[in-house]
Amino acid sequence: MARITKEERKNGIISAALKLFSEKGFYITTIPDIAEKVGMSVGNFYNYFTSKDILAKELLIYISTYLGENIRDINERDISTQEKIYEIVSMYFNMAEEKPEMIEYFLRVYLSNREVFSEGCEGMLCVSPFVTEMMMFFDDGVASSELHDQDFFSAFGLFMGYLGGMVFLFGEKILPQPLEWYKESISQNIYNALKSR
Amino acid sequence: MHSNLAKPRLLWLQGVTCNGNTHSFLNLHSLEQLLSKFELLYHPSLPALFSLEDLSKCHQKCDILIFEGTYDPMMQRDGISLEKWLQHYSSCARYVIAVGTCASFGGIFKASAPERSSGVLFDADKKSGPLVTIEQKVINLSGCPIHPEWLEYVLMMISAQKEILLDELHRPRELYSNLAHHGCTRNEYFEWKVDAENFGEKEGCLYYTQGCRAPMTHASCNKILWNDVSSKTRVGTPCFGCTESDFPRRDLFSTKTNMSIPVDVPLGVSKRSYLTLAGIAKTFHIKRLEGKLIDYKTVR
Amino acid sequence: MTTKQFVEQIEGEASIYFDIKDDKVEFATITFPHFRGMESILKGKSALDALVITPRVCGICGHAHLMATVRALEDVYKNSSNPVSLSTKAEVIREFTLVIEMIQNHFKWIYLSIIPELIKLTQTTRIQTPLKGAYASSLASKAIAVFAGQWPHSSYMLPGGITSDPTNIDILKATSYLDELILFFEKETLGVTLEQFLSFESCKDFASLQSDVGFIESTLIDVRMNTKGFAYDRFLVIGKHNFSKPSKMKHTRSFHVESALVKSVKPYAPQEKSFALNAVYKDDYYETGPLARSMSNAVPVIKNIHRRFKDSAYSRVMARVFELASLMQEAKLLLEKIDITQPSYNKPVDFSKISGSGVGVVEAPRGPLLHRVEVQNGVITSYEIITPTQFNIGSSTQENPTPAQKAMIGVSEAEAMFIFKTFDVCSVCTTH
Repeated sequence: MARITKEERKNGIISAALKLFSEKGFYITTIPDIAEKVGMSVGNFYNYFTSKDILAKELLIYISTYLGENIRDINERDISTQEKIYEIVSMYFNMAEEKPEMIEYFLRVYLSNREVFSEGCEGMLCVSPFVTEMMMFFDDGVASSELHDQDFFSAFGLFMGYLGGMVFLFGEKILPQPLEWYKESISQNIYNALKSR
Repeated sequence: MHSNLAKPRLLWLQGVTCNGNTHSFLNLHSLEQLLSKFELLYHPSLPALFSLEDLSKCHQKCDILIFEGTYDPMMQRDGISLEKWLQHYSSCARYVIAVGTCASFGGIFKASAPERSSGVLFDADKKSGPLVTIEQKVINLSGCPIHPEWLEYVLMMISAQKEILLDELHRPRELYSNLAHHGCTRNEYFEWKVDAENFGEKEGCLYYTQGCRAPMTHASCNKILWNDVSSKTRVGTPCFGCTESDFPRRDLFSTKTNMSIPVDVPLGVSKRSYLTLAGIAKTFHIKRLEGKLIDYKTVR
Repeated sequence: MTTKQFVEQIEGEASIYFDIKDDKVEFATITFPHFRGMESILKGKSALDALVITPRVCGICGHAHLMATVRALEDVYKNSSNPVSLSTKAEVIREFTLVIEMIQNHFKWIYLSIIPELIKLTQTTRIQTPLKGAYASSLASKAIAVFAGQWPHSSYMLPGGITSDPTNIDILKATSYLDELILFFEKETLGVTLEQFLSFESCKDFASLQSDVGFIESTLIDVRMNTKGFAYDRFLVIGKHNFSKPSKMKHTRSFHVESALVKSVKPYAPQEKSFALNAVYKDDYYETGPLARSMSNAVPVIKNIHRRFKDSAYSRVMARVFELASLMQEAKLLLEKIDITQPSYNKPVDFSKISGSGVGVVEAPRGPLLHRVEVQNGVITSYEIITPTQFNIGSSTQENPTPAQKAMIGVSEAEAMFIFKTFDVCSVCTTH
């Protein structure tokens, strides 16, 4: 049997930490909790991450890279901007259903515990892969005259705020229908709001 | 045939022009030394061997033809069409130097008669001008106007019988492999993505809102300074990309953006890489680059 | 008998058709052959783009075009109730670079135009020194570049001010270029100090000069240009500057002037198509340029010359030479006035919100330069340029000749060719 590489172990810690943080909350979860969940000693854990704050930042980069790679894959497809919107919404909702801990972490830990990220994750530092791909998406959309030109953050906020809100409602089990059911109408709404006039 | 000792015969001919290159050339600090190496058949403002009236008979021959202005075949000088002028003098010349963006690509005055005007070899970036069949003779010195030292370089290289390496647009590589951005005194603001809030300031980069084309423009304006003194960007004027085949573009004082994202990013850099780096650089708020440079205290 | 003369090296070319009777010019018409369509090129462009396009009307006075454009655009702001405020600093620096461009022009005119023409006219053996003109004007260009980045073709002025933010180092640099230029002027052109030259009060004072100016002055008298080349003795100055006073003058009497009364009319040129329109004030032709400005400013030595020789070719040439000297002094004063602590630029409302019309008038080397613009939501819908050479060197009928036409009547063809150049012709501007 092949040995587990350091990289695989690191990913193991990341996925365990994500689950614990989203189940129990960031502050209540301790390093021994995480170490126990992956089946390693606390001492060994520190070989991977020297503190909980550093782990927290790495998690953010991990999620942002994951989102960025998925959106890049969509951006590079030869499809219309309207179709891209549907694909991004779809990808995001699928992620919320299949890997809820990732979105949860982003919404509950990152956005509500900014002090943890105040050093080393200022501005776009840790979310850059994700934001950059959204910039590429918007730039292509305007360049192809499918979207109207406006301030980046006005458009970005509309798109991601909307998705974040829906996932939040989903997480709170308020939505009467599964997320899948909303993909079409939400994509349409986003497109209607952003399309060129 | 001229012997090696004979000075090359130089003829400066004009198409549709403003005389900007003529006057820029007069600013050359070593004008006297340069002119001493050539026999000047005609220049639009300097005394020369012949008048335009003498030359319009097309009996003379030149070794180097300098052509300034947009080529409009129907335009006449002393009753002779430019088509005939150019045909006669370019066929005997060893080199044809197109001075200025009008002569190189059509430039501003292509708009005077767009259906028939062009540069002598290129029409914008298409090689479809009148000198296509003798393209190996043509050297383009684009710029609106040219810097006199660019022309000095070409003439001295010819005089010394040295090879001039050209780019795809027939511009000397030694002059046009640089970007106007190279040597700009605002480079640090570009690195850290600090934009100039307004015109009229020493601080800040003009690329983000003021329309500066320096990172996308092949020119040595910030390396070989204008009038030996300065450059557009050094005095807070955006680069308008006047050495490129698409000059004049539109909306020259504002940066074209899509949802706040610059449409054109520095030459050879992918937009994704540029946005990644820009997003990160913007994160750092560097005090020294935020205020007036002169007010920043080194010891706090 | 009608003869045709082809005139070269006047920022392009022109043709003069002379009606000759008894070896004297009875009448002459003038044609400018090259048309570029600047006004239609500007249509549909963003208003600010005009700041880049109009300097390209002319390689020798592009800066005057830049200033006319910026004044016209600021007038649009004003007329649409969004006045632009300019700092004194921005105004002074604009004025400085404009004055220096004029100095550059006058030097070239002396060494590349008027001295060679005098040599030709008198067939003397004097050696031409064109490079003196090129050297002096290259020094002048350096002083412009300190503030404007480059010359020719700077676009450093824009509504609300200028793009540069000079330091004391820059001002020292400009001062040193100007001082070097003044030294050159004193040594090579005048033969006396600038101060001494500016204190001249009568044309007799020129007699002692053993210099290029001395050569110009004495040769003009030798060929009796003080008795030839008279136009209407009517002058027009419209551009408002520290160095010029707007005025319409008949002989020495000064009247109020209104730029709105300037219009361009079709030329009369039966032999050949001319692309230059004539500029008239009300319906009359006036002479513009240094002689006009000096008369309106009541410069003592020029008034003295005018009293003796009216608006002869001599007066016209000497006014330009003398103006060069006074502009140097003016440039020095302007540099001293720059207060670097003031802002360079006051941002006006975005042009896309502005509609309206505006007029920009400046005194260019050859006289008033007018730009009239109409803007709709920041886009140019119409642009009109009227240049000084259109005032001086239009081509009209024998009954109502233009100043240059009138000045050429009654002299020999060779003299007429010389007189033509005393107006300092700019072909490219004329047929923008």
